[in-house]
Amino acid sequence: MPPLSSSPEQPQPLRAVLAATKGWVERLGSVWVSGQLIELKRRSGGVTHFLTLRDPLAEVSVQVTASTQVLDAAGPIAEGMEVVALVRPTVWSRNGSLSFECSDLRASGEGRLLAAIEQRKRMLQAEGLFDRQLKKPLPFLPAAIGLITGQDSAAERDVLEVATDRWPGVRFVTRYAVMQGQGCVEQVRDALAALDREASVDVIVIARGGGSVQDLLPFSDESLVRAVFACRTPVVSAIGHEPDTPILDLVADVRAATPTDAAKRVVPDAADERQRVRQAGTRVRDAMLRLLDREAHGLQAMRSRPVLADPTGALDVHATQLRDLRARATRAAAARVREEAGWVSHTISRVRALSPQATLQRGYAILSGSDGAAVESIAAVAEGDDLLAMIADGTLHARVTHVQRRKETDG
Amino acid sequence: MAEQHPSYEQARQRLIEVVQLLESGSVPLSTAMELWQEGEALARSCQEWLDGARSRIEETREGIGESPAE
Repeated sequence: MPPLSSSPEQPQPLRAVLAATKGWVERLGSVWVSGQLIELKRRSGGVTHFLTLRDPLAEVSVQVTASTQVLDAAGPIAEGMEVVALVRPTVWSRNGSLSFECSDLRASGEGRLLAAIEQRKRMLQAEGLFDRQLKKPLPFLPAAIGLITGQDSAAERDVLEVATDRWPGVRFVTRYAVMQGQGCVEQVRDALAALDREASVDVIVIARGGGSVQDLLPFSDESLVRAVFACRTPVVSAIGHEPDTPILDLVADVRAATPTDAAKRVVPDAADERQRVRQAGTRVRDAMLRLLDREAHGLQAMRSRPVLADPTGALDVHATQLRDLRARATRAAAARVREEAGWVSHTISRVRALSPQATLQRGYAILSGSDGAAVESIAAVAEGDDLLAMIADGTLHARVTHVQRRKETDG
Repeated sequence: MAEQHPSYEQARQRLIEVVQLLESGSVPLSTAMELWQEGEALARSCQEWLDGARSRIEETREGIGESPAE
Protein backbone atom coordinates (compact mmCIF):
# COMPACT_ATOMS: atom_id res chain seq x y z
CA MET A 1 0.00 0.00 0.00
CA PRO A 2 1.54 3.31 -0.93
CA PRO A 3 2.16 5.70 1.95
CA LEU A 4 -0.38 8.46 2.35
CA SER A 5 1.04 11.76 1.40
CA SER A 6 0.31 14.59 3.72
CA SER A 7 1.58 17.91 4.95
CA PRO A 8 0.49 20.54 7.35
CA GLU A 9 -0.95 22.45 4.37
CA GLN A 10 -2.53 19.36 2.81
CA PRO A 11 -3.63 17.10 5.68
CA GLN A 12 -5.51 13.84 5.17
CA PRO A 13 -8.97 13.63 6.67
CA LEU A 14 -9.14 11.52 9.87
CA ARG A 15 -11.47 8.99 8.33
CA ALA A 16 -8.99 8.27 5.62
CA VAL A 17 -6.22 7.66 8.13
CA LEU A 18 -8.44 5.40 10.14
CA ALA A 19 -9.48 3.51 7.07
CA ALA A 20 -5.90 3.09 6.04
CA THR A 21 -4.92 1.87 9.49
CA LYS A 22 -7.80 -0.60 9.43
CA GLY A 23 -6.65 -1.86 6.06
CA TRP A 24 -3.07 -2.35 7.29
CA VAL A 25 -4.02 -4.09 10.45
CA GLU A 26 -6.68 -6.33 9.01
CA ARG A 27 -4.30 -7.51 6.30
CA LEU A 28 -2.75 -9.73 8.95
CA GLY A 29 -5.84 -11.93 8.71
CA SER A 30 -6.50 -14.88 10.98
CA VAL A 31 -3.55 -16.22 12.89
CA TRP A 32 -3.29 -19.17 15.27
CA VAL A 33 -1.81 -18.02 18.50
CA SER A 34 -0.80 -19.93 21.62
CA GLY A 35 -1.15 -18.43 25.03
CA GLN A 36 -2.45 -18.85 28.51
CA LEU A 37 -6.11 -18.18 29.18
CA ILE A 38 -5.94 -16.00 32.23
CA GLU A 39 -9.44 -14.61 32.24
CA LEU A 40 -12.70 -15.94 30.89
CA LYS A 41 -15.72 -13.72 31.24
CA ARG A 42 -18.67 -15.68 30.04
CA ARG A 43 -21.83 -13.61 30.23
CA SER A 44 -25.00 -15.68 30.35
CA GLY A 45 -27.49 -14.58 27.78
CA GLY A 46 -24.80 -12.63 26.00
CA VAL A 47 -23.64 -13.08 22.46
CA THR A 48 -20.09 -11.87 22.80
CA HIS A 49 -17.78 -12.94 25.60
CA PHE A 50 -14.38 -11.69 26.62
CA LEU A 51 -11.19 -13.60 27.21
CA THR A 52 -7.77 -12.45 28.17
CA LEU A 53 -4.83 -14.27 26.62
CA ARG A 54 -1.35 -13.92 27.94
CA ASP A 55 2.09 -14.68 26.58
CA PRO A 56 3.86 -15.92 29.72
CA LEU A 57 7.35 -15.33 28.33
CA ALA A 58 6.93 -11.73 27.28
CA GLU A 59 4.39 -10.54 29.85
CA VAL A 60 2.09 -9.50 27.02
CA SER A 61 -1.64 -9.92 27.37
CA VAL A 62 -4.54 -8.94 25.19
CA GLN A 63 -8.33 -9.01 25.33
CA VAL A 64 -10.05 -11.31 22.88
CA THR A 65 -13.71 -11.58 21.99
CA ALA A 66 -15.46 -14.86 21.24
CA SER A 67 -19.01 -15.82 20.45
CA THR A 68 -21.04 -18.35 22.48
CA GLN A 69 -20.66 -20.80 19.61
CA VAL A 70 -16.87 -20.56 19.66
CA LEU A 71 -16.73 -21.04 23.44
CA ASP A 72 -19.05 -24.06 23.35
CA ALA A 73 -17.05 -25.64 20.57
CA ALA A 74 -13.83 -25.17 22.57
CA GLY A 75 -14.48 -28.13 24.88
CA PRO A 76 -13.59 -28.14 28.56
CA ILE A 77 -11.46 -25.07 29.15
CA ALA A 78 -10.70 -23.19 32.27
CA GLU A 79 -8.74 -20.19 33.42
CA GLY A 80 -5.04 -20.94 33.70
CA MET A 81 -5.08 -23.42 30.85
CA GLU A 82 -2.77 -23.34 27.83
CA VAL A 83 -4.82 -22.70 24.70
CA VAL A 84 -4.51 -22.10 21.00
CA ALA A 85 -6.84 -19.60 19.37
CA LEU A 86 -7.47 -18.49 15.85
CA VAL A 87 -7.60 -14.69 16.15
CA ARG A 88 -8.07 -11.85 13.76
CA PRO A 89 -7.20 -8.25 14.60
CA THR A 90 -9.90 -5.72 13.87
CA VAL A 91 -9.88 -1.96 14.01
CA TRP A 92 -13.09 -0.20 14.65
CA SER A 93 -13.24 2.49 12.03
CA ARG A 94 -15.32 4.79 14.16
CA ASN A 95 -12.72 5.23 16.92
CA GLY A 96 -9.63 3.30 15.95
CA SER A 97 -9.81 0.84 18.84
CA LEU A 98 -8.08 -2.43 18.26
CA SER A 99 -9.56 -5.75 19.25
CA PHE A 100 -8.97 -9.37 18.47
CA GLU A 101 -11.76 -11.64 17.39
CA CYS A 102 -11.47 -15.35 18.14
CA SER A 103 -13.18 -17.70 15.75
CA ASP A 104 -11.75 -20.96 17.10
CA LEU A 105 -10.51 -21.80 20.56
CA ARG A 106 -9.01 -25.05 21.77
CA ALA A 107 -7.11 -26.38 24.77
CA SER A 108 -3.53 -27.11 23.87
CA GLY A 109 -0.60 -29.01 25.19
CA GLU A 110 -1.15 -29.60 28.86
CA GLY A 111 -4.59 -28.10 28.58
CA ARG A 112 -5.56 -30.69 26.01
CA LEU A 113 -4.18 -33.39 28.20
CA LEU A 114 -6.15 -32.21 31.17
CA ALA A 115 -9.29 -31.95 29.08
CA ALA A 116 -8.86 -35.50 27.85
CA ILE A 117 -8.32 -36.73 31.39
CA GLU A 118 -11.43 -34.89 32.51
CA GLN A 119 -13.47 -36.56 29.80
CA ARG A 120 -12.13 -40.01 30.67
CA LYS A 121 -12.85 -39.36 34.31
CA ARG A 122 -16.50 -38.63 33.56
CA MET A 123 -16.86 -41.73 31.40
CA LEU A 124 -15.40 -44.03 34.06
CA GLN A 125 -17.47 -42.40 36.76
CA ALA A 126 -20.61 -43.04 34.76
CA GLU A 127 -19.59 -46.70 34.56
CA GLY A 128 -19.44 -46.77 38.36
CA LEU A 129 -15.72 -47.43 38.80
CA PHE A 130 -15.45 -44.83 41.57
CA ASP A 131 -18.52 -45.93 43.60
CA ARG A 132 -18.05 -45.60 47.40
CA GLN A 133 -19.68 -48.98 48.11
CA LEU A 134 -17.23 -50.80 45.87
CA LYS A 135 -14.24 -49.58 47.88
CA LYS A 136 -12.66 -52.30 49.99
CA PRO A 137 -11.65 -51.60 53.61
CA LEU A 138 -7.96 -51.82 54.46
CA PRO A 139 -6.82 -54.57 56.85
CA PHE A 140 -5.96 -53.34 60.34
CA LEU A 141 -2.62 -55.12 60.40
CA PRO A 142 -1.58 -56.56 57.02
CA ALA A 143 0.51 -59.73 56.86
CA ALA A 144 2.52 -58.09 54.09
CA ILE A 145 2.25 -54.81 52.19
CA GLY A 146 2.72 -54.79 48.43
CA LEU A 147 4.62 -51.71 47.23
CA ILE A 148 4.86 -50.49 43.64
CA THR A 149 7.35 -47.67 43.35
CA GLY A 150 10.46 -46.41 41.61
CA GLN A 151 13.72 -48.08 42.60
CA ASP A 152 15.68 -45.99 45.14
CA SER A 153 13.02 -43.32 44.98
CA ALA A 154 12.22 -40.86 47.76
CA ALA A 155 8.71 -42.32 47.71
CA GLU A 156 10.05 -45.81 48.50
CA ARG A 157 12.19 -44.44 51.34
CA ASP A 158 9.31 -42.46 52.82
CA VAL A 159 6.88 -45.37 52.81
CA LEU A 160 9.39 -47.86 54.25
CA GLU A 161 10.70 -45.52 56.96
CA VAL A 162 7.35 -44.27 58.22
CA ALA A 163 5.75 -47.74 58.18
CA THR A 164 8.66 -49.42 59.97
CA ASP A 165 8.72 -46.65 62.55
CA ARG A 166 5.06 -47.20 63.34
CA TRP A 167 5.12 -50.98 63.30
CA PRO A 168 8.63 -52.41 63.48
CA GLY A 169 7.61 -55.91 62.38
CA VAL A 170 6.04 -54.76 59.10
CA ARG A 171 6.82 -56.80 55.99
CA PHE A 172 6.96 -55.33 52.49
CA VAL A 173 6.88 -57.08 49.11
CA THR A 174 8.25 -54.48 46.69
CA ARG A 175 7.97 -54.48 42.91
CA TYR A 176 9.92 -51.77 41.16
CA ALA A 177 8.53 -50.02 38.10
CA VAL A 178 9.38 -47.02 36.02
CA MET A 179 6.99 -44.42 37.41
CA GLN A 180 6.61 -42.10 34.43
CA GLY A 181 6.82 -41.97 30.67
CA GLN A 182 7.36 -44.91 28.37
CA GLY A 183 6.59 -48.35 29.81
CA CYS A 184 5.19 -47.02 33.10
CA VAL A 185 1.63 -48.18 32.52
CA GLU A 186 2.66 -51.74 31.53
CA GLN A 187 5.18 -52.14 34.36
CA VAL A 188 2.79 -50.87 37.03
CA ARG A 189 0.04 -53.13 35.67
CA ASP A 190 2.33 -56.17 35.74
CA ALA A 191 3.51 -55.35 39.26
CA LEU A 192 -0.10 -54.97 40.36
CA ALA A 193 -1.08 -58.36 38.93
CA ALA A 194 1.90 -60.08 40.58
CA LEU A 195 1.19 -58.55 44.00
CA ASP A 196 -2.52 -59.31 43.73
CA ARG A 197 -1.68 -62.99 43.13
CA GLU A 198 0.62 -63.03 46.18
CA ALA A 199 -1.50 -64.52 49.01
CA SER A 200 0.30 -62.85 51.92
CA VAL A 201 -0.07 -59.35 50.47
CA ASP A 202 -3.16 -57.84 52.12
CA VAL A 203 -2.85 -54.32 50.73
CA ILE A 204 -1.04 -52.71 47.77
CA VAL A 205 0.44 -49.22 47.77
CA ILE A 206 1.29 -47.42 44.51
CA ALA A 207 3.61 -44.54 45.40
CA ARG A 208 5.50 -41.86 43.57
CA GLY A 209 6.45 -38.30 44.34
CA GLY A 210 5.27 -35.07 42.78
CA GLY A 211 5.63 -34.24 39.09
CA SER A 212 4.18 -32.42 36.13
CA VAL A 213 0.91 -33.29 34.46
CA GLN A 214 2.96 -35.12 31.85
CA ASP A 215 4.80 -37.15 34.52
CA LEU A 216 1.62 -38.20 36.27
CA LEU A 217 -0.20 -38.96 33.01
CA PRO A 218 0.26 -42.75 33.18
CA PHE A 219 -1.76 -42.78 36.42
CA SER A 220 -4.76 -41.57 34.52
CA ASP A 221 -4.33 -44.26 31.87
CA GLU A 222 -7.59 -46.12 31.27
CA SER A 223 -6.09 -49.63 31.23
CA LEU A 224 -4.23 -49.03 34.49
CA VAL A 225 -7.32 -47.61 36.14
CA ARG A 226 -9.38 -50.62 35.07
CA ALA A 227 -6.66 -52.97 36.32
CA VAL A 228 -6.82 -51.34 39.76
CA PHE A 229 -10.61 -51.60 39.73
CA ALA A 230 -10.38 -55.32 38.98
CA CYS A 231 -7.75 -55.92 41.65
CA ARG A 232 -8.94 -58.18 44.51
CA THR A 233 -6.48 -56.75 47.03
CA PRO A 234 -7.25 -53.25 48.35
CA VAL A 235 -5.15 -50.56 46.63
CA VAL A 236 -3.85 -47.33 48.13
CA SER A 237 -2.99 -44.56 45.69
CA ALA A 238 -0.17 -42.25 46.81
CA ILE A 239 0.66 -40.33 43.68
CA GLY A 240 2.22 -36.88 43.74
CA HIS A 241 1.30 -34.20 46.23
CA GLU A 242 -1.93 -32.91 47.73
CA PRO A 243 -3.29 -30.91 44.76
CA ASP A 244 -2.58 -33.64 42.16
CA THR A 245 -5.53 -35.90 41.35
CA PRO A 246 -4.80 -38.48 38.70
CA ILE A 247 -7.69 -40.86 37.97
CA LEU A 248 -5.91 -43.56 40.02
CA ASP A 249 -6.81 -41.55 43.13
CA LEU A 250 -10.49 -41.92 42.35
CA VAL A 251 -10.55 -45.64 41.55
CA ALA A 252 -8.24 -46.69 44.44
CA ASP A 253 -9.81 -47.98 47.65
CA VAL A 254 -7.97 -45.31 49.63
CA ARG A 255 -6.33 -42.13 48.41
CA ALA A 256 -3.30 -40.95 50.32
CA ALA A 257 -2.06 -37.39 49.81
CA THR A 258 1.58 -38.47 49.88
CA PRO A 259 3.67 -41.66 50.24
CA THR A 260 4.14 -40.78 53.95
CA ASP A 261 0.38 -40.50 54.39
CA ALA A 262 -0.03 -43.93 52.77
CA ALA A 263 2.38 -45.49 55.28
CA LYS A 264 0.29 -44.08 58.13
CA ARG A 265 -2.90 -45.56 56.71
CA VAL A 266 -1.69 -49.10 56.10
CA VAL A 267 -0.12 -49.92 59.46
CA PRO A 268 -1.26 -49.05 62.97
CA ASP A 269 1.04 -47.19 65.31
CA ALA A 270 2.51 -49.73 67.74
CA ALA A 271 2.95 -47.18 70.52
CA ASP A 272 -0.71 -46.11 70.23
CA GLU A 273 -1.89 -49.71 70.25
CA ARG A 274 0.21 -50.59 73.32
CA GLN A 275 -1.29 -47.57 75.07
CA ARG A 276 -4.82 -48.62 74.16
CA VAL A 277 -4.24 -52.19 75.32
CA ARG A 278 -2.81 -50.92 78.62
CA GLN A 279 -5.83 -48.68 79.12
CA ALA A 280 -8.19 -51.49 78.28
CA GLY A 281 -6.43 -53.69 80.81
CA THR A 282 -6.75 -51.01 83.49
CA ARG A 283 -10.42 -50.54 82.78
CA VAL A 284 -11.06 -54.27 82.92
CA ARG A 285 -9.25 -54.59 86.24
CA ASP A 286 -11.09 -51.59 87.68
CA ALA A 287 -14.42 -52.99 86.57
CA MET A 288 -13.58 -56.38 88.07
CA LEU A 289 -12.63 -54.86 91.42
CA ARG A 290 -15.86 -52.88 91.50
CA LEU A 291 -17.78 -56.05 90.78
CA LEU A 292 -15.94 -57.92 93.52
CA ASP A 293 -16.69 -55.07 95.95
CA ARG A 294 -20.40 -55.30 95.21
CA GLU A 295 -20.40 -59.05 95.67
CA ALA A 296 -18.41 -58.78 98.89
CA HIS A 297 -20.91 -56.29 100.29
CA GLY A 298 -23.78 -58.55 99.32
CA LEU A 299 -22.13 -61.49 100.98
CA GLN A 300 -21.48 -59.45 104.11
CA ALA A 301 -25.14 -58.46 104.28
CA MET A 302 -26.13 -62.10 103.90
CA ARG A 303 -23.79 -63.20 106.65
CA SER A 304 -25.01 -60.58 109.11
CA ARG A 305 -28.60 -61.77 108.95
CA PRO A 306 -29.68 -63.17 112.28
CA VAL A 307 -30.31 -66.70 111.08
CA LEU A 308 -26.63 -67.02 110.22
CA ALA A 309 -25.02 -64.54 112.59
CA ASP A 310 -26.91 -65.66 115.68
CA PRO A 311 -28.56 -69.01 115.06
CA THR A 312 -29.15 -69.47 118.81
CA GLY A 313 -32.25 -67.34 118.38
CA ALA A 314 -34.13 -70.29 116.96
CA LEU A 315 -32.75 -72.52 119.64
CA ASP A 316 -33.85 -70.06 122.37
CA VAL A 317 -37.39 -70.30 121.16
CA HIS A 318 -37.33 -74.05 121.41
CA ALA A 319 -35.60 -73.95 124.80
CA THR A 320 -38.26 -71.60 126.12
CA GLN A 321 -41.01 -73.84 124.78
CA LEU A 322 -39.33 -76.82 126.38
CA ARG A 323 -39.09 -75.02 129.75
CA ASP A 324 -42.73 -74.12 129.57
CA LEU A 325 -43.72 -77.67 128.75
CA ARG A 326 -41.69 -79.06 131.65
CA ALA A 327 -43.20 -76.56 134.03
CA ARG A 328 -46.66 -77.43 132.90
CA ALA A 329 -45.94 -81.12 133.12
CA THR A 330 -44.54 -80.70 136.63
CA ARG A 331 -47.49 -78.64 137.75
CA ALA A 332 -49.88 -81.12 136.29
CA ALA A 333 -48.13 -84.01 137.99
CA ALA A 334 -48.06 -82.25 141.34
CA ALA A 335 -51.72 -81.47 141.05
CA ARG A 336 -52.58 -85.08 140.36
CA VAL A 337 -50.51 -86.28 143.31
CA ARG A 338 -52.23 -83.85 145.59
CA GLU A 339 -55.55 -85.03 144.32
CA GLU A 340 -54.71 -88.67 144.96
CA ALA A 341 -53.25 -87.92 148.39
CA GLY A 342 -56.46 -86.19 149.33
CA TRP A 343 -58.53 -89.14 148.26
CA VAL A 344 -56.29 -91.59 150.06
CA SER A 345 -56.47 -89.59 153.24
CA HIS A 346 -60.24 -89.33 152.99
CA THR A 347 -60.60 -93.01 152.32
CA ILE A 348 -58.41 -93.95 155.28
CA SER A 349 -60.72 -91.99 157.54
CA ARG A 350 -63.74 -93.83 156.22
CA VAL A 351 -62.01 -97.15 156.58
CA ARG A 352 -60.99 -96.33 160.08
CA ALA A 353 -64.49 -95.39 160.89
CA LEU A 354 -65.70 -98.79 159.69
CA SER A 355 -63.07 -100.69 161.63
CA PRO A 356 -64.23 -102.99 164.68
CA GLN A 357 -61.30 -101.85 166.76
CA ALA A 358 -63.35 -99.13 168.42
CA THR A 359 -66.03 -101.72 169.32
CA LEU A 360 -63.44 -104.03 170.74
CA GLN A 361 -62.04 -101.22 172.81
CA ARG A 362 -65.45 -100.79 174.36
CA GLY A 363 -65.12 -104.35 175.87
CA TYR A 364 -66.64 -106.48 173.21
CA ALA A 365 -64.92 -109.60 171.92
CA ILE A 366 -65.09 -111.36 168.58
CA LEU A 367 -65.50 -115.09 169.06
CA SER A 368 -64.37 -117.46 166.40
CA GLY A 369 -64.20 -121.20 166.26
CA SER A 370 -61.12 -123.23 165.54
CA ASP A 371 -62.01 -123.05 161.86
CA GLY A 372 -61.62 -119.34 162.14
CA ALA A 373 -65.26 -118.58 161.37
CA ALA A 374 -66.92 -116.05 163.63
CA VAL A 375 -69.44 -117.42 166.16
CA GLU A 376 -72.67 -115.55 165.63
CA SER A 377 -75.08 -118.02 167.12
CA ILE A 378 -75.25 -120.46 170.07
CA ALA A 379 -76.13 -123.07 167.54
CA ALA A 380 -72.59 -122.98 166.21
CA VAL A 381 -71.10 -124.10 169.54
CA ALA A 382 -71.38 -126.93 172.00
CA GLU A 383 -70.19 -127.32 175.52
CA GLY A 384 -66.58 -128.16 175.60
CA ASP A 385 -65.65 -126.48 172.19
CA ASP A 386 -62.42 -124.50 172.04
CA LEU A 387 -62.98 -120.93 170.96
CA LEU A 388 -60.75 -117.96 170.14
CA ALA A 389 -61.80 -114.69 171.65
CA MET A 390 -60.33 -111.62 169.99
CA ILE A 391 -60.40 -108.65 172.31
CA ALA A 392 -58.93 -105.16 171.91
CA ASP A 393 -55.40 -105.94 172.83
CA GLY A 394 -55.05 -109.63 172.08
CA THR A 395 -56.57 -113.07 171.63
CA LEU A 396 -57.88 -115.49 174.36
CA HIS A 397 -58.17 -119.23 174.02
CA ALA A 398 -61.45 -120.18 175.78
CA ARG A 399 -63.59 -123.25 176.34
CA VAL A 400 -67.37 -123.29 176.33
CA THR A 401 -68.52 -124.34 179.73
CA HIS A 402 -72.18 -123.54 179.44
CA VAL A 403 -74.56 -122.31 176.71
CA GLN A 404 -77.52 -120.16 177.63
CA ARG A 405 -80.06 -118.90 175.09
CA ARG A 406 -81.01 -115.28 175.33
CA LYS A 407 -84.68 -114.66 176.11
CA GLU A 408 -86.38 -111.92 174.17
CA THR A 409 -87.27 -110.09 177.21
CA ASP A 410 -83.65 -109.82 178.37
CA GLY A 411 -82.06 -106.52 177.60
CA MET B 1 -26.42 -84.44 91.69
CA ALA B 2 -24.13 -81.89 93.32
CA GLU B 3 -20.74 -81.23 91.73
CA GLN B 4 -17.55 -81.50 93.71
CA HIS B 5 -16.81 -77.81 93.58
CA PRO B 6 -19.85 -75.59 93.06
CA SER B 7 -19.12 -72.42 91.16
CA TYR B 8 -19.27 -69.08 92.97
CA GLU B 9 -22.70 -68.44 91.46
CA GLN B 10 -24.01 -71.84 92.54
CA ALA B 11 -22.74 -71.38 96.11
CA ARG B 12 -24.20 -67.88 96.27
CA GLN B 13 -27.55 -69.02 94.97
CA ARG B 14 -27.73 -71.88 97.49
CA LEU B 15 -26.73 -69.52 100.31
CA ILE B 16 -29.66 -67.25 99.47
CA GLU B 17 -32.01 -70.25 99.46
CA VAL B 18 -30.71 -71.43 102.84
CA VAL B 19 -31.17 -68.01 104.44
CA GLN B 20 -34.69 -67.74 103.05
CA LEU B 21 -35.62 -71.20 104.42
CA LEU B 22 -34.22 -70.43 107.86
CA GLU B 23 -35.95 -67.04 107.98
CA SER B 24 -39.30 -68.54 107.00
CA GLY B 25 -39.27 -70.53 110.26
CA SER B 26 -41.09 -73.36 108.56
CA VAL B 27 -38.35 -75.97 108.87
CA PRO B 28 -38.18 -78.45 111.70
CA LEU B 29 -35.42 -77.82 114.24
CA SER B 30 -33.19 -80.72 113.23
CA THR B 31 -33.31 -79.60 109.58
CA ALA B 32 -32.67 -76.03 110.71
CA MET B 33 -29.39 -77.08 112.33
CA GLU B 34 -28.25 -78.80 109.16
CA LEU B 35 -29.22 -75.80 107.07
CA TRP B 36 -27.34 -73.47 109.35
CA GLN B 37 -24.17 -75.52 109.01
CA GLU B 38 -24.57 -75.61 105.26
CA GLY B 39 -25.09 -71.83 105.22
CA GLU B 40 -21.90 -71.24 107.18
CA ALA B 41 -19.91 -73.44 104.83
CA LEU B 42 -21.31 -71.71 101.74
CA ALA B 43 -20.62 -68.23 103.13
CA ARG B 44 -17.02 -69.21 103.90
CA SER B 45 -16.65 -70.63 100.43
CA CYS B 46 -17.93 -67.47 98.73
CA GLN B 47 -15.71 -65.25 100.85
CA GLU B 48 -12.63 -67.30 99.97
CA TRP B 49 -13.45 -67.11 96.28
CA LEU B 50 -13.92 -63.32 96.39
CA ASP B 51 -10.76 -62.76 98.40
CA GLY B 52 -8.81 -65.01 96.03
CA ALA B 53 -10.05 -63.16 92.96
CA ARG B 54 -9.23 -59.79 94.47
CA SER B 55 -5.68 -60.74 95.40
CA ARG B 56 -5.03 -62.21 91.91
CA ILE B 57 -6.00 -58.88 90.38
CA GLU B 58 -3.94 -56.88 92.86
CA GLU B 59 -0.94 -59.09 92.11
CA THR B 60 -1.32 -58.52 88.37
CA ARG B 61 -1.47 -54.80 88.94
CA GLU B 62 1.63 -54.80 91.07
CA GLY B 63 3.35 -56.97 88.50
CA ILE B 64 2.83 -54.43 85.74
CA GLY B 65 3.34 -51.43 87.98
CA GLU B 66 -0.15 -50.10 87.63
CA SER B 67 -1.43 -47.69 90.26
CA PRO B 68 -4.70 -48.53 92.08
CA ALA B 69 -7.86 -46.95 90.70
CA GLU B 70 -9.49 -44.02 92.42
